Amino acid sequence: MRRIIDNDLLTLASRLFVGGALIYASYYKIIEPATFAKSIWYYHMVPGYLINLMALILPWLEMLCGLALILGIWYRGAVLWSNALLLIFIVALASTIARGLSIDCGCFKAGKSATAPAWDALWFDVVAIVFALQMWFSRSRKWMLSSSRSN
Amino acid sequence: MAFKQCVLLVVVATLVALGVNVVSPNGIDLIGKYRSLSGGEGPIVPPTAEEGDPPFVSVDEAYLEFTQAAAVFIDARDEEEFFCGTIPGSINIPFEYLPDGDLSVYFEEVLPGVGRNVPMIIFCSGEECDLSLHLARNMQELGYTRTLIFFGGSREWEANGLEIERRSECEE
Repeated sequence: MRRIIDNDLLTLASRLFVGGALIYASYYKIIEPATFAKSIWYYHMVPGYLINLMALILPWLEMLCGLALILGIWYRGAVLWSNALLLIFIVALASTIARGLSIDCGCFKAGKSATAPAWDALWFDVVAIVFALQMWFSRSRKWMLSSSRSN
Repeated sequence: MAFKQCVLLVVVATLVALGVNVVSPNGIDLIGKYRSLSGGEGPIVPPTAEEGDPPFVSVDEAYLEFTQAAAVFIDARDEEEFFCGTIPGSINIPFEYLPDGDLSVYFEEVLPGVGRNVPMIIFCSGEECDLSLHLARNMQELGYTRTLIFFGGSREWEANGLEIERRSECEE
């Protein structure tokens, strides 16, 4: 098991998959912050005065984490944030499904059709967090710009 | 080490986000004007709604579009009711007086310069009125792709303490 988790190729694949997903997900949110703010508001989980700040900062955090994962810079911090972000998304999506809210999840494209199924996004995030956890436990530091063990 | 990097990532993300927001044409206010009117309740959907109808929006969603000035509000009642009290800035398109002939041309006349992909929030007085539903169906058929129905209408709007524009004195 340890050998699988530490596998260099698997770790690289996880970095590319999770990092790529975070960068892709952040792109439309950065371009259309007002629409993403609306998506956050639809969840009814964040106080009103925090919504716009969250809509501005969160996508850039996703973008930076994605880049850091792929390049291997500030790697441990990026892995930790990736796990935290994915966990937040999973809780938010599961909560909307449980409450029966029909909303645009704002996951990959802000303002996408309101019928975009939250279930699809939830499953994607569950798969992604498995890879994010693998990165957290993996000791592989191959193909990283900053490859020290403490990175 | 990981915690320090986490903090650095947040600091950089915050600085970049705020900087980009200042220069971006799509920049937004740092503190938005959000309020929950319905306590998270969903939109009112009439029993006559059918599959394929335009989406229904709650008073919360209608109010959010109103504050962001992102949508055109359309009152589907007749002119008399429209003048008695409506959502400020609404355009009156009385469903019962739609002209015969090419409605596409008519909508272009009453909505000059408004693209077909602009969000339209259509409403009437409230739950007893289905003019909004019928008008929205017509507009959707004519290619207005982001037609939305606020079925709670002007009554739910007013009941939540939101401003109503009155152009004439009317008896209740």
